[in-house]
Amino acid sequence: MSIQADPAGSVPQRAVQAVQAQAGSAGVAPVISAVGLTLGFGKATILSDISLDVQRGMVTALLGPTGSGKTTLLRTLNRMNDKVTGYRHSGDVLMDGHSIWHPGVDAMSLRRKVGMLFQRPNPFPMSIMDNVVAGVRAHRMASRAQLKSVAEKRLTEVGLWDAVATRLKDSPFRLSGGQQQLLCLARALAIEPDVLLLDEPTSSLDPVATESIEALIRTLVPRLTVVIVTHNLAQARRVSDRTVFLNKGRLVEHGETKQIFENPAEEETAHYVTGRFG
Amino acid sequence: MASLPAVPEGGAAQPPPLPADAPFRRWLRGGYFIRWLGFGGSLIPTLMLALILLVLIVKAWPAIQINGWGFFTKSVWNTGAQYGSSVSSHGIRYLSGQHYGALPQIVGTLQTSLIALIIAVPVSIGAALVIVERLPRWLASILGGFLELLAGIPSVVIGLWGVLTFGPFIARYIAPAIVKIIPFSFFQGDVGHGEGLLVSGLVLAVMVIPIIASTSRDLIRTVPVLPREGAVALGMSDAQTARKVTLPWVGAGLIGAIVLGLARALGETIAVAMVCGVALGQVTTNLYGAMSTIAANIVQNLDSVITDQLGVRTYAELALLLLIITLATNVVARLMIRRVSGIALPVGRGL
Repeated sequence: MSIQADPAGSVPQRAVQAVQAQAGSAGVAPVISAVGLTLGFGKATILSDISLDVQRGMVTALLGPTGSGKTTLLRTLNRMNDKVTGYRHSGDVLMDGHSIWHPGVDAMSLRRKVGMLFQRPNPFPMSIMDNVVAGVRAHRMASRAQLKSVAEKRLTEVGLWDAVATRLKDSPFRLSGGQQQLLCLARALAIEPDVLLLDEPTSSLDPVATESIEALIRTLVPRLTVVIVTHNLAQARRVSDRTVFLNKGRLVEHGETKQIFENPAEEETAHYVTGRFG
Repeated sequence: MASLPAVPEGGAAQPPPLPADAPFRRWLRGGYFIRWLGFGGSLIPTLMLALILLVLIVKAWPAIQINGWGFFTKSVWNTGAQYGSSVSSHGIRYLSGQHYGALPQIVGTLQTSLIALIIAVPVSIGAALVIVERLPRWLASILGGFLELLAGIPSVVIGLWGVLTFGPFIARYIAPAIVKIIPFSFFQGDVGHGEGLLVSGLVLAVMVIPIIASTSRDLIRTVPVLPREGAVALGMSDAQTARKVTLPWVGAGLIGAIVLGLARALGETIAVAMVCGVALGQVTTNLYGAMSTIAANIVQNLDSVITDQLGVRTYAELALLLLIITLATNVVARLMIRRVSGIALPVGRGL
């Protein structure tokens, strides 16, 4: 994988491919599909019988009240739950048609393809520059000489370059919370994932920082596929193309965001999106 | 008429009158006592260190003058002619023919501590990582308990084990393998019977490992899960996560833990005295030779010079030297910690 082989020019090309893929098959080609997925920790079952398709090049919101299992579902998609004690699952998750738990699939390369941003910013204890290229280094995706330009490209992409250009060697912990989260986003983007999982990425941020992250998310599609967990109705409505509504570990409804909010098929969904519970 | 009621109007609203010792109580409540107690308490360590330094310097002063710079550069340890005539200079009387150069012990102290750290640091930190991140909780707590037990074994017991079992084992099985594998001349030569530099260093490593391992285990436990998950989510391996995130997160503390171990190794006395082979007159030319350390020399030979003024004062000079080496180690460690914590710790160097 070379960084230089991915100039901005290839982005529209991928977008075209994505659109073609969608137009090609009567429906669409999902990047990730959950098939009858049931999982839990120990005796507790967190999700039961979830089946859903995540469409390529779109923002999919996982919406639901606290305890609905949306974060657990998200963390399953890049196998972050695998090492949690007592974790068990049945059913399957397919990425590009192949099971993510197939013995031939290595969790580390899966996570290179499926990046993640967390509830709170989590910079590493190294300089700002080293943070951005940490994943690039780990996967040997660029030579030492290219790292600086990789860092600049990614920091520019998230709109952080001007703020940190003169202090790349500084500690990231002196940045504001919003800047730290943008830095983590730059770090996740630097390894060029196909899918980006966002776990309530703005829950610890102020409205201005939230707005800039949301705006950024819209610029990532259709080059990337984004799955965002949120319990913020307005956020789901603003940023997502499709919404999955989960409640108490069940998938209640899945459809276009507009439809889910304006014309939900299930009463439960209607109650939630109109703010009657949750 | 009837006297006024004892309780004023409005019931018991008035506070009871202060007892006679009120000023003292007020003084006590004002916090002065605690403040002065704390201040005095905080001075004690400083005063102790200053006093020890002062006593050692005063005691060692004649020896420092008589032994001169040769004390640090020569390899000789001659306690003088027992039946010769005595000499008088620099205010003390002592046997003639005494000649002291502590180079072999200085080098020995540094060599054994270096060997101990080379072995102990990777083993301890590796063990701490495994205990915290890999083992189930019950096994981790059992192993952690054993680590602390190991740290509590009296050093004389470890020394005895070194003499009787560990040393001979090293000499018979490990040392010959090193001779075969590493061609440099320092690693070549007669492997001896289990007393010397290598065994001393390894015995020290055994004593230092529990210190570094249990301290690093406690440190690694404090690393928050979020940055570690961030590394895992980037597709980093466990080793990369440990090297890039977990260990740097507590980097300053780890240096502290290593220095704690180093201080133990530099100052450890009796176990080394038992396995070092005792050679005061020369620096060993290979890894297996007999040697000695400053601390081991002091404990082995102080009694034989106790009646000789220069001898006693030379040992005070040795003690002073050991103290300075230890203090210097601490200062260097502090500088390193400051350098590391500038970028590593989320709180930074201070605002």
